[in-house]
Amino acid sequence: MSAAPKNLINERLLHMDKHLELRGVSKRFGTANVLSDVDLTIARGEFVCLLGPSGCGKTTLLRIISGFESASSGQLLLDGQEISHVAPHLRGFGMVFQSLALFPHMTVAENIAYGMKLKGVAAAQRASRVEELLHMVQLPAIADRPVSALSGGQRQRVAIARALAVPPKLFLLDEPLSALDAQLRDSMQIELRQLQQQFGVTTVVVTHDQHEAMMLSDRLVVLKGGRVQQCDTPSQVYRKPANAFVAEFLGAANLLPGMVRGPGVIEVLGSALALPTNLPAGSAVTLAVRSEDLRFEPTHADAPARPNSISGEIDFLRDLGAKSELILRCGDERLRCHGGDAQFQSARCGQRVNVLIDAERCSVFAA
Amino acid sequence: MSTLNSGRLRLALLALPAVVLLLPFLLAVVFVLRFSFSADTQSIDGFSLERYLGLLDPFFLRSVVLTLKLAALSTVICLVLAVPVAMLMAAITQPIWRRVVTSLILLPMILNLLIQSYGWIMVLGPNGIINGVLLKLGVLDRPVQLLFNEIGVLVGLVQTALPLAVFPILGSMRAISAQYLEASASLGAAPWRSFRDITLPLLKPGLIGAASIVFAFNASAFAVPLLLGGRRVQTMGVAIRDMISPMFDWAGAAAAGVALIAITLATLMAATWLSTRTTQWQGAR
Amino acid sequence: MATATSITTPVASPAASPATPRAGRGSFGWVMGTLAGLGLLIAALPVVIILIMSFSGGTNLDFPPQSLSLRWYGAAFDVLFGDKSEGTMSAFSAMTSSLIVGLITMLASVSVCVPLSYAVVRSHGRWRHLAELLFTLPIVFPLVVLGVAYLLMTEALSRETGVDLGLLRLAIPHITLALPFVLRNCLSAMSGVGVDLEEAAMSLGASPLRAILHVVVPLMKPGIMAGLIFAFIISFNEFTVTFFMYTIDVRTLPIWMYSRTVSSLDPTTLAISTLIIALDVALIAWVDKLVAGKGSLF
Repeated sequence: MSAAPKNLINERLLHMDKHLELRGVSKRFGTANVLSDVDLTIARGEFVCLLGPSGCGKTTLLRIISGFESASSGQLLLDGQEISHVAPHLRGFGMVFQSLALFPHMTVAENIAYGMKLKGVAAAQRASRVEELLHMVQLPAIADRPVSALSGGQRQRVAIARALAVPPKLFLLDEPLSALDAQLRDSMQIELRQLQQQFGVTTVVVTHDQHEAMMLSDRLVVLKGGRVQQCDTPSQVYRKPANAFVAEFLGAANLLPGMVRGPGVIEVLGSALALPTNLPAGSAVTLAVRSEDLRFEPTHADAPARPNSISGEIDFLRDLGAKSELILRCGDERLRCHGGDAQFQSARCGQRVNVLIDAERCSVFAA
Repeated sequence: MSTLNSGRLRLALLALPAVVLLLPFLLAVVFVLRFSFSADTQSIDGFSLERYLGLLDPFFLRSVVLTLKLAALSTVICLVLAVPVAMLMAAITQPIWRRVVTSLILLPMILNLLIQSYGWIMVLGPNGIINGVLLKLGVLDRPVQLLFNEIGVLVGLVQTALPLAVFPILGSMRAISAQYLEASASLGAAPWRSFRDITLPLLKPGLIGAASIVFAFNASAFAVPLLLGGRRVQTMGVAIRDMISPMFDWAGAAAAGVALIAITLATLMAATWLSTRTTQWQGAR
Repeated sequence: MATATSITTPVASPAASPATPRAGRGSFGWVMGTLAGLGLLIAALPVVIILIMSFSGGTNLDFPPQSLSLRWYGAAFDVLFGDKSEGTMSAFSAMTSSLIVGLITMLASVSVCVPLSYAVVRSHGRWRHLAELLFTLPIVFPLVVLGVAYLLMTEALSRETGVDLGLLRLAIPHITLALPFVLRNCLSAMSGVGVDLEEAAMSLGASPLRAILHVVVPLMKPGIMAGLIFAFIISFNEFTVTFFMYTIDVRTLPIWMYSRTVSSLDPTTLAISTLIIALDVALIAWVDKLVAGKGSLF
């Protein structure tokens, strides 16, 4: 569940132009529950990413949306109409497969025009639409080339052009950029986002790469073990993760065990910290702090300890130019920390420090 | 592809035509089995073991012994020739030569057995090449009978079964990395030693597979004994044919056919059992 | 080391690479080479001899031929295509029967094996083992017993129902013999077509059937062609089972040649044989090119 209060969510849903809705979608393979009770509402023109580790069910969910798998229970609604029993070739969704699945026995133009050919579009119109699409994906001259003669990035774009040739109701992509090398992937992410904005088509992308998900999506759906962990905008998911898993998956987070001592007081590693929490005293909790949100100051023997600080020692220190990377040891825990300002410049390995926890920039979860 | 069940049904329907075409084969097998137990020789009537008992006459038993003898001999010769041929094929690097050799080896299997028997007649016959050469060289003063007897049949069996032996052995051989042989050479083994200690044991599965296939194929050979043996080489295959015509003992032919399969299987199982026992003994040493 | 006189004479190091010629190696290579040569000779000799002798100028079959000529090919063409008035005993009708039976065999076996291979490969390998086992049975079954079985069944059928199968007498057993090879070809062709290609076609609007026709079948084409040709080769050359099944009215070219040569072997038959060999070699080369080294013919 999102960290935002429930009435705000309902408010948003009321005003949303709902395009795709999943209600209580579950999928069982034998005794294994691949998806449990997935509720999701996607607005028209929205770009949603299904993010999670391998085995979390994200690809299965996409295949249920596209029709190549059927849900064990639950409903799938497009513009309010149930489509669970509609055959995949009648749904009018454009799909880009992980393997791209470009037809090896057809040229680029024939691949892109295939959907139009099935609809009986005239040859001249097909040809001009193919040209239009190739221009849009910046591959102007390759219409007659066989698919085998293309590079990885080119194949990628042809697959996208093919899926968009007959304007689809939904644009579905399964790990579309996973086969590309890092540099190409970065530029393709930007292109894909721009393309989607241009077309305005409702898009669902499956990925395991959180950087990609944050680059592309209007909203992120984090999945683990077949369940939705959080569904919110990327910045919300990043800043206010719903649980420890989301906190760690979205960007390296330090997880520390703690115990609630009283209202708004949590004891972590021997220090009492003032942190917002509604949990009763005696509850075990996990404190999540991101590496870039940790601050520290050298310990002065005679000065009192700052509030919300944990004493520790710098165990490891590297100057990486733009920033410094540190490991702070507090008790038995090792915390990663990085940053570029003054305190990092003057830090020395072995220094005793007070690690400062900013109550605004951390999350507390029940352990 | 909407539900699992209709998908399965669709796949079963796609498989159906092929099963229908295979049906005559399965029916024929059942038919022959049933016929072999028939009391009447010309049709299926009643149930009796008479036809099987009838196989115990000396004539048929002689053909059994002859069949097994020829099959075993040809298997041994095939293996002895197939291993070097496979080594040769594994060593060829240029694809064109590989194609040539592969076609040469495959030809006997695919080409008409009748046509090949013509070739053998001209090689092995009294006026054929071998006799011609040997006579000219003065090694013989009369042509030696190489055809229309067991020798001719043996040659024909070896030739037609060679591809069946070469390909399994070639497969096994390709799996033997050259590094094993290099390792043994670096440890001081001469080529014959390496062959005996490294290559042959690693080839064992391929050899056993090849031997089984060749034995089974040659035990049931019909065209080769018929064409190259004249009337003199009565293997089980030929005997079965004779039971059909001119003898019209159809039930007997059916029984003989079943017996052929049974004897071949029994021999193969005994051989496999023996070979696994010997490896166990060797392992225990 | 330089100044002291060397005490030991250099010995051929056992660590020499296998490529280095050594005394012991010689006998191994020589023996293996000879045996390999013998094996290839035995495999190829009959065909080579037929080839050579079919060009001989004389009427006898002594080797080597005294002269070379094409006269027997002329005679062969006369026999095959010339005098048709001999009715059902003629070479021409035997040849046409061979071709028709071959055609039926190849079309029937391929048209059932393509859907079967689709079903097998798309059922995620559960049934593949069973299908391969079932359809490999005809190969391991002794040809003689197969001939007997089909003969008995066909005769019983004609006795009970009076149905005369005509050319199907031969086509049905030939199909049985071709199925294992055709299936193997189709399975390997089908394995190369991933299910994602079909799904891609469906996502673009193709019904499941059209997805198969537009995507799967074109990609299987080389394998299908190879299967067709292979089935034809098997049927055209088949002798053993056909020998049991032929009748006065229904016979193939090999059977015709057999009845002609029972008494004597003449060069015309050799010329016809060479023509058949040439056809077979051309077809095998075609299959080999289609399969392009992927997977063996077995």
